This record gives sequence, structure tokens and C-alpha cells, in this order.
Amino acid sequence: MGRGYIVDDAVEEYLSKLCEQKASQITGLLIGQSSAQRDFVVMATRTPQREESTASAGNSLDKDWVTEHARQVSRMLPGGLSVLGVFIISDTDAKDTQTTLRQLVFAVENLISSEYLWSPSDDDVTDCVTLHVNSKTRKTLCRTFDVKDPKSMAKPADWKYQSGVCSSWITVLCCLNVDIVVPLPENRSSTENMDECLKEGLKAWTQKIENGICLLDGKKLLDDTELTTGQRRNVKQTYTAQLLLTSCEHRVTDVVQRCGGSVSVRGAIHSRAYLHSNKPKAKLAEKLLKRDVLSTVATRVQMLLEELMIAEQESSVRDKKQTAQFSLPRRVFCPVKGSGPVCVCDYQFSYEELSEATERLKEMLDIDAAEEDLDTSQEITAETVQSGEDMHSDVAAEPTVETAEELKPKRSNYIGVAMATAVALLATAASMLYLNDI
Amino acid sequence: MCFLSAPHVYKLISRTFEILRSQVKSDSCVLTLCDSPVIIWPNKKFHATPEEVTTNTICEDLQQWIHVVKLQLMTEVTKPGPLSGLVLCRKVQNSHFVSTTLPMDCIVRASSSDTVKDVCDRLMEELTKQLDEMEKVTLQHIKGTTLLTPEPLHFLLPDPKGLVTVVYPAGMPDTQLEAKRQELHRHFELPDDRPYFRRANAYHFPNEPYRDGYLRNPHLVLTHPSLEDGKVYLVQGIYSYHHYMQDRMDDNGWGCAYRSLQTICSWFQQQGYVERCVPSHKEIQQALVDVGDKQTAFVGSRQWIGSIEVQAVLNQLLGVTSKIMFVSQGSELASKGRELANHFLTQGTPIMIGGGVLAHTILGVAWSETTGQIRYLILDPHYTGAEDLQLITDKGWCGWKGPEFWDQTAYYNLCLPQRPKVI
Repeated sequence: MGRGYIVDDAVEEYLSKLCEQKASQITGLLIGQSSAQRDFVVMATRTPQREESTASAGNSLDKDWVTEHARQVSRMLPGGLSVLGVFIISDTDAKDTQTTLRQLVFAVENLISSEYLWSPSDDDVTDCVTLHVNSKTRKTLCRTFDVKDPKSMAKPADWKYQSGVCSSWITVLCCLNVDIVVPLPENRSSTENMDECLKEGLKAWTQKIENGICLLDGKKLLDDTELTTGQRRNVKQTYTAQLLLTSCEHRVTDVVQRCGGSVSVRGAIHSRAYLHSNKPKAKLAEKLLKRDVLSTVATRVQMLLEELMIAEQESSVRDKKQTAQFSLPRRVFCPVKGSGPVCVCDYQFSYEELSEATERLKEMLDIDAAEEDLDTSQEITAETVQSGEDMHSDVAAEPTVETAEELKPKRSNYIGVAMATAVALLATAASMLYLNDI
Repeated sequence: MCFLSAPHVYKLISRTFEILRSQVKSDSCVLTLCDSPVIIWPNKKFHATPEEVTTNTICEDLQQWIHVVKLQLMTEVTKPGPLSGLVLCRKVQNSHFVSTTLPMDCIVRASSSDTVKDVCDRLMEELTKQLDEMEKVTLQHIKGTTLLTPEPLHFLLPDPKGLVTVVYPAGMPDTQLEAKRQELHRHFELPDDRPYFRRANAYHFPNEPYRDGYLRNPHLVLTHPSLEDGKVYLVQGIYSYHHYMQDRMDDNGWGCAYRSLQTICSWFQQQGYVERCVPSHKEIQQALVDVGDKQTAFVGSRQWIGSIEVQAVLNQLLGVTSKIMFVSQGSELASKGRELANHFLTQGTPIMIGGGVLAHTILGVAWSETTGQIRYLILDPHYTGAEDLQLITDKGWCGWKGPEFWDQTAYYNLCLPQRPKVI
């Protein structure tokens, strides 16, 4: 039995090209989507050269570097795409690389999943793939491991090439408002503290997103509804999603606490997920989109904090400004050639040029993209504003004045009483109470 | 603890409520109809899904999806883009962080021919009004750095007023809210000798199960007897059915009066007169020891009690006084129609009756002044089964009985609990 991997022809071309490089060993990642019935491999990317590495490309495998590469690549994959496994191209027999492959695939999966904000769901596929290609004979050996089970044994899997694997894949997208506010501890406002506090805030926000209602093209579909995919070429199937949130699932403990300030993340993000075209269900669309929403915000926050921490370390003077605003990087999309609607993405800080994005795409994903190929229209970077007075962006629109009508309750034909039970989280009203201590 | 300048705090809280009010009026405010696929955007020129729900849909049509109309307020966070970019803002300033969840809960009465749009519009108005109320209550109860969360409760007032919503500060006990209740009684022109606005009086919606598992008012499903020229006089308000074997207490054969007493206590609790929960057999026995009526060995025993003991316990544990009615033989009960009717009219409390070897609870009478015909609505504590409303009413464990129900030669004592005159 075993799993069956449907692999795009482009991947075969890519792997062949790598075989022709006279390297003794090339490692890389396999990217695609797993589903219960079938798995799809959409692209592959070799592990980039380390700067300090020697000229000889046949040096010993740097496992940490491979996993770090995987972590960075994972950030560049929109919803629905993930690192499915690892490949090694060598001029030796497959059996020589099996142990390494096993170690790599577990390390990669463990690192990537440790960064997830969401909890795994029961219908997640936990098998990862390892592929060995003999560069001389071009023979491939494909096996899977259940990464949930540290003791799992290799299982054989099918590796079949096909053209246009994602040509009729579905895109689900939305543009979403983020509003997360958390207090900072007193007298400790370093970036590390901010990181911890934001992690808490993101966890709470994750629950809201996970419990939110997801509409596809304006409708709430039943979990098992199959999304229609057009089998006609060049017809892009796109669903616009809407997310409705409420806080009433988990009543947060009411709190009045002293704090040293606040940190907030506010603004809009573009989120998207790709679904395979093999009878995908509404439940899958919702799961993948929500995961993309969570990871794109978490990734950007992480990236900014990493930058701030480096800045903090390099300059001995801590930023003593009362209020500081930092622009989080915006999301830029890059189509994967020959892969239908599927795009990868990168994050561009406001001070970066677009060329840096194309460079990263080349380094991480081995994609040759020109600046014109990049889609920068989905998001705009907010202007970074320096410190100032207490600023409340997002001041709500003027409330409309409604004339009060005399409500005469009708006594006949009651169908019952219409009742709304709702919860408004005071903190998400975009303001914190600052009570200056006297 | 530092005390903070009040006006500054008030301004900030008011500003926060202002923002909440505008959120309720915004396009991202959404109402979802629980247990159905219906979702309504009340502020966005009436937009709804599925497509069949339009401006002209009347409430009756919603019943194809749902019978009790319960809506949940949500916020849509997705919007057509692109909007402002993502910004991280850090403020360093010693301050206080306040976070609370406002449990908004509004009611709108609708007739089945009202359009859904109308009802939603009215609902949104109610939400805005409730935010105003909540702001007032929050500001009223700020002390230093403590804030009480405003919490809405619904109360059913006598017709034609119907359901009204009052916002109370959470955690504040009824004893501290008396002034507010007096104001409400005045405003709604309610008598000042019985409670309508205690927390226990909060309305319980028919589709919400009671968490404690006891049946409430099983008599409501019965068809009441129609006697020639007769009227039905029933217990007022809500009681729970207490009977043998409940609470993992095997009192089969001796606990009937205790169970009747528990039913009565449940009435006083649910009408808001007392906050203490229904006493256990041991607590009842302890109360009798405490008033000197029984020896200490009584506690833990399986001894019967009668109406006098019931009266004593009601007084000791609940502060409730009761009248005792005595009949020297069961046949005399047939002539007590007027008194019983009067009791249910003025007091409306369940009656405990003990005599022969049995105790029962009387929940009402059907009585004809002219013919003298009488029936008694009996709640029987001798039932040992599960909380099965169908079974209980089919088999007459809660049912109407004729005068032959009583042992015609035994003497009976009835305990008629009196409502305390409080609000």
C-alpha cells in the first residue's frame, strides 16, 4: 500500500538538473500538499550554500543548516503548501543515505511544527517523504515516515510524475483585520519581554480565529461540501473567504492589572491558501486558510522582533522612546512557473528594495523571478511613524444617528423572543486604559 | 495603592464605550442565527446569507431553520483590501491594563409577520442602548482601580410589560442592590411587597436546560380540570420537583415530607426570596435540632417529619413564616376550597400536606364556589424514578386528584408558607 506522491514534471526537470551538477551530495526540500488519499509535490528546492562553506560542494551534511533552510522556506509558503519532506541526490546507492534522510526529515518536521500557532487536528497527515535520487542511474527511492511516531519505520511510497499537477487547484483568499493588544510588564520593556507578551496575545488570538465562522463566497458551507473545481484550463478557481469572530467561547478572566505599557499589532493582511483539485472539502479550505492567517501574522511578528533584537544587541542604548511604531513587513507573492495559480511569498520590510525579495526567492526556493513577476498589489506597507503622543489609529467612523422609534410590542402571534447573546471584548475596542499613576 | 484621578478614568471608559457603540453600528457587525446557516449583516444595507433571506423575509420564515430565535453577535474581520499595513506599536508607560468581556444580551419581541430586517434593526438599537446602560453602570461602580463588569439580566414582568432587561454590576449581591430595585419597582409600577428584580428572578428561556437537572413546573403540561362554574387556582412562579431517591439519597419510605419541604424551598429560592440552595435531609434535620425541636441523634436518622417541622425549618433556614391549617378528618378537605383558593391567589406558594402516613405537595386547586366541586393539583414526592416529564405526568405523580385521594378518616395538617413582604 503506502502513500502515492503525484509529482509535477517541473520537479523532475529540477532534480535532473541537480543531478548534472557534479556534486557528491545535494540535499533539498520537497514542497506540496498532503491529503488523505493522495499527496502532491509541486516544487523542490536545494539547500542553499552556506556562506562560510568551502568551495568543495561535497562536504559533510550540515543538518542544522538543512533544517534552518526548511524553517525559512516554510515561512515563504502560503496556506496549503508545506514542506513535505527531504531529498538527497548522491552518486551512491540509496541505502547509504537512508539514515541521514530519516534524521533530516524528523528534524525538519519537528522544527517547523514547533513554530505553529495552531494545534494539530485529527485529519492532519503526519507522514513525511524522503526521496533519494542516484545521480548516475537516476533511480529514485521514495519512502515515508510517520513523524508523529519517533520509532516509525520507513514505508515504501509511489513517486509518479505528472504534468500540470496544480493547474486546476483552488485558491481561497481573504483580506483580514488584525487587532491584538497585550499589556507589557512593569519596568521591563525589552524586546524579549515584548516577544513573550506577544506570544500570549497571539495564542489568545489564535483561539478566536480557530473558533471563528468561515464563509466561502458569502456562504456558510457544511464541512463536507465539496468545492467545485473547474477542469477547464486557464479557469482560475478562486473563493473569497470571510471570517466572523466572537469572544464568547472562552470568557477571558476579567483583569485590572498594573502594567508597563502595551504592545499592539494592528492592520490588515492578505491571506491565502491553495487546495488540491481532487474533490476538496469546505472543511479543508477553512483549515488551510485559517492556518495561513495565523502563520502569516506570527511570521511577520517574529521577523520584526528578530530585527529589533539584533538592533538592540548592536546598539547599547535601549530605545527609551515612549511610543514607537514599527511597520511589519508586507507580503509579496511570486507565481511558481507552470504551477497554475500557485504562488509562494516573501516578506518585504519597508526599507527593503524589491530586488532583495527576488534574491531571497532565488536563495531559498531557487526561483528565478524578475521584479515584474512579483505581485505587490495585495498589501501595502504602513508608514513607520516615530514616537509621538498617545496615538489611536483606527478611530471608528462617526456613529450614525438613528431616530428612535416608538416600539409597540405586538401581543399576537409571538413566535417566541428573538434574543441576541453576544460578547464584546473590551480590549479589542482598540484602546487601553492608561491611568497615569500619581 | 494609588488613587487615580477619577475624571480621567471616566473619560477613557466613556471613550471605550463610544468605540464599542460605533462597532455595533459598523459594517463588520454580524448576527448569526444559532444552529442554522443564516448570517445577517444588519448594518450593511441588510445583507444576509443564504440568499433566501432578504429584506422582506418575515420572522415566521426563519422557523424553517430554527424554532427559537437565538442570535449571536459576531464581528467580521475580513474586508476587501488592500487596507492599512500591519503595524506593531509599543508604548512604554506605567499604567493599568483593564480587560473584561462584556456579556451583551438583548431581547426584542417580534410577531411572526415582522420582517427579519425590522427585527434586526430593533435589535441593533437595543444593543446600542445596552452599551449606554453598561457604560452608566460601569462608571457608577468604579472604586479606585476596581471595576465591576456590567451584566444584563432579563426579568419577566406581569403583562403587558413582558420581558425587560436590567444591567447589574456583576458580583454585587442582591442586598446591596435594593435601592436600584426600589427604583425599578417605581418605574414599572410594581407592588412593593414581592420581588421581581432579584437575580434569582431572572427569566429562564424555554430552550435552555437547567443545569441542576431537576424538572421545573411539571404541572404546566397538564390539562386542568374544568368544573362547572369553577376556577383554577395555581402556584405562582417556579419550583423544582423534589422526590424520593434524588441526589443519591435513598429516602424511600420516610423522606416524603422532606422532599415536599425541598420543593417549597426551591420555590423561595427561585422567586428570589433567599439565596441559599435547597437544603439536604441532614441540613433539615440539623435545623430542627438547632431550634430545639429534636435531639442531636435526629441528624442522620430516618425519622419522619410533619407540617409543624416543615414550618419550623422554613422559619429557621429561610426566615419564612407559615400558616398551619388543621383538618380532623380527610373528608373535611373537600370543604377547604375557598381557603386553598385564597392561598394560591394571595400567596401562590406550594403547600405541604401531611397526614395518615403520607406527605404530599399541593400545587393548586380547581374549585367551584357554587357547586363546591373541588380538585387538588398534587405533586407526589413518593416517585422514585428519573426526571422524565412524560412519565411523571402520565402516571399522575404530578396530577389532579379528587377529594377521594385523601384518607377520609385520618387527620391532616397543612403548612401554608407565606411570602415575605420584600422586593
